[in-house]
Amino acid sequence: MSTTIVETRQVPALKVENLVVDFKTKNGTVNAVRGVSFSVAPGEVLAVVGESGSGKTITSLTSMALLPSTARTSGVVEVDGHDVLNASASAMDAKRGNVVSMVFQEPMTALNPSMKVDKQVAEAILNHRGVSKAEAHARAVALLEKVGIPDPEVKARNYPHQLSGGQRQRVVIAIALACEPRLIIADEPTTALDVTVQAEILELLRNLVQETNTALLLITHNMGVVADLSDRVVVMNAGKIVETGTTVQVLTAPEQPYTRALLAAVPTLPEAQWDTVIAAERTKASFPEAEVKEIVAVDPVLDMRGICVDYASGGRKLRAVNDADLLINRGEIVGLVGESGSGKSTLGRAPLGLVPVTGGSITLFGGNALKASKRQIRTLRSRIGIIFQDPGGSLDPRMTVGDSIAEPLVMHGVDGRRPVRSVREARVAELLEAVRLPAANAQRYPHELSGGQRQRIGLARALALAPELLIADEPTSALDVSVQDEVLTLLLELQKEHGFGCLFISHDLAVVHSVSQRVTVMQHGNVIESGATSRVLQHPEASYTRHLLASVPSPNPIMQKRRREARFALLSSKDS
Amino acid sequence: MTTTTTATRDSSGIRLFSWFLAKRLVQAAVVIAIVSVIVFLLLQALPGGPARGILGQQATDAQIAAFNHEQGFDLPLIQQYFNYVGQWLQGNLGRSFVMNTDVSSLIIQRLPKTLILALAAVGGALLVSIPLGMAQALRRNKVFDYVMTGLNFIVYSTPSFFLGLLLIMFFTQLLGWLPASAPQGDTVAQILSQPREMILPVLTSGLAGVATFSRYMRSSTIDNLHEDYVRTARAKGTPMNKVISRHVLRNSLTPVVTMLGYYLPVMFGGALVVEQLFNYPGMGLLFWNAAQTTDFPVLLGCVLVISVATVIGSLLADITQFILDPRARGGVK
Repeated sequence: MSTTIVETRQVPALKVENLVVDFKTKNGTVNAVRGVSFSVAPGEVLAVVGESGSGKTITSLTSMALLPSTARTSGVVEVDGHDVLNASASAMDAKRGNVVSMVFQEPMTALNPSMKVDKQVAEAILNHRGVSKAEAHARAVALLEKVGIPDPEVKARNYPHQLSGGQRQRVVIAIALACEPRLIIADEPTTALDVTVQAEILELLRNLVQETNTALLLITHNMGVVADLSDRVVVMNAGKIVETGTTVQVLTAPEQPYTRALLAAVPTLPEAQWDTVIAAERTKASFPEAEVKEIVAVDPVLDMRGICVDYASGGRKLRAVNDADLLINRGEIVGLVGESGSGKSTLGRAPLGLVPVTGGSITLFGGNALKASKRQIRTLRSRIGIIFQDPGGSLDPRMTVGDSIAEPLVMHGVDGRRPVRSVREARVAELLEAVRLPAANAQRYPHELSGGQRQRIGLARALALAPELLIADEPTSALDVSVQDEVLTLLLELQKEHGFGCLFISHDLAVVHSVSQRVTVMQHGNVIESGATSRVLQHPEASYTRHLLASVPSPNPIMQKRRREARFALLSSKDS
Repeated sequence: MTTTTTATRDSSGIRLFSWFLAKRLVQAAVVIAIVSVIVFLLLQALPGGPARGILGQQATDAQIAAFNHEQGFDLPLIQQYFNYVGQWLQGNLGRSFVMNTDVSSLIIQRLPKTLILALAAVGGALLVSIPLGMAQALRRNKVFDYVMTGLNFIVYSTPSFFLGLLLIMFFTQLLGWLPASAPQGDTVAQILSQPREMILPVLTSGLAGVATFSRYMRSSTIDNLHEDYVRTARAKGTPMNKVISRHVLRNSLTPVVTMLGYYLPVMFGGALVVEQLFNYPGMGLLFWNAAQTTDFPVLLGCVLVISVATVIGSLLADITQFILDPRARGGVK
């Protein structure tokens, strides 16, 4: 009993009370955080979730006293009982990396590109511990080993660019752990990583928290990550806390309408039948259902067979896509899934003639696309619409939205002629209406629109020539989950209306599940598995697909526990 | 396993670099060849040609024809060009019409002096501009930054002959501190023994460098200050001044040092004006005088040397970048 009393008296690792953060800008004051209170106990994992602009990252930077100088703060922030908001610069230098440390989102840029890895880890130790350089180096290597970097002695002498993304994030975690802090703040620690790497990093963080009794403040927008790692959840919106509670309670029985809407917008995977999947993996058996022919050419708009794509790099050949088949019928959405470097985007660009296809055949709208003349290719392209990941980057910032949408009309003509202004304007208005935007938007510039609106513009432009095939390359990856939901719903409605075939390229299995009838899974340039979406996601045939599915964290904490166990079971059956 | 991967990466980096170097050397040769053709044709287009320039206005047509025949100037242009190139490849740059000495020995005598001037100017410019650029970046959009930026633009846009005259007016005529003429002498040692005389020529050619380099340093420091790795270093508890000296400085230097190579030919061009202004016996003055007297072989020799210097400069730039930036050393994905 006495232990309980001691625990309740424990100083919280982080205490935030009535925190207000304002930014002074030329256009007035921006209220980023508006009266936020919460605390994190030692050994506890608290997740702060919210969409962009919710103030979650500003809250985390305030806890490190790393806000830009334009910020004005009030309230109380205490790390391990020490005041942060009024601390001097040198006092905070002594705390950072020592009492509180941070893991950042982008492992590619979070490390100094021209400093060897061991020096970057050792720096954190040398900042706070009076040890020799040799001792700091030895500790750095030990830390690299602890965070699961293979061959730590060798990797320690590498530069960051020589490591993989997952290894770099492990180095960032090693830096955060270097002085055994009381609190680690992890700001979207897995957002930039592939889903299988994400699962490994989440596992590492979970083990470290359990081992060291360090408190973890987890900032994320990913409900799966929340379900996997956290004990309690704080939901933020527009600088305020909407809801607080245990992870199970908030994710399975949210009280507030905002939380409910947020969770409803999260696309979910159907639960695979893990027991059978694991059994099949162990016995290397295949499912009888999969024997049925799932891919039938009914009215194909695109039929690619045995596609090979080679890039030349420094005198060497690099095979990006190897012997890949892909079929899309009219009126069908086919998902193309894979992690970075799987060749999914390259395969998606093959029908456009944008990549060097070195083998195989491409039948586009019944004609041979590889043997087409330049003129024919132009005509073929006018029958394909494309929509890209970054709606900001793929719109010309100096062109009005209307001109951007009208560009394909001008390039390819309407009824064989360059359309006159009135025809163009009428068509643009029609297209804007189709993507549920007011026609007045035609006069605006891309920077005046939100990310979701810009992606609608991208969709309108892709539909300008009434394409028979739409290629969508990660169209919602840059969007908040509620906006993603809107864009996906719109895409499905438009597809029903216009009946085009669609290739939907994504790294997100749950998103693919919510839109596509069939799915193709790629890894290292090879097609691993193809079939009906529900079959592939529930009875995956290929070992890689199974592993991939088990790596996607479920937003339901109870389901996520099962998935996590399934992932371990799959990994161990692989090892045995 | 991992050791082999690293080893392969390193050796593939070296292989990539050798391949790159070989390609650059071929490009360099092509550039020099093209430059030589252009210069040769330009000189041919001079009014009256070299014979009139050498023999003067009084020379008769017969004298000119005889001179042209003797020098091979009556041969077809292509043949003349290849005669020149053939001689160059043997290390013979011809003889000066005016000074009656070997062009190569003239250049060997003058080139080190121009190099001394250029190195002193660039070295001094770097010593000033690197801290200046960083200081501006750290006080971005403050009064200090605005004032230095303004001064930089004034210096940068002032032609060097005018800048030189202003410096002479101020330091020689008004204050009487420094002599207005450069050190004289045949050997490098003689030049180096007169440091006071070197100050104004070095200042004149170096100030533009200060303006250029500090702009680069300022913007690359600003870029690096916003990089994520700076935030990581701060999150480790590294104080800001150490973050700057340990992390930001080296990464910000890369573009500046890379630019140095490209600046070498600029210094040669500047030498033309500065050396003439201060009567400094370097390549620039040699070129200037040769141009005044239409001394063909000297002009061609100088241009050849400058174009080789340009090519070497950009090669050096690429190599320094290879050394400074580990990402350029391989691991190319």
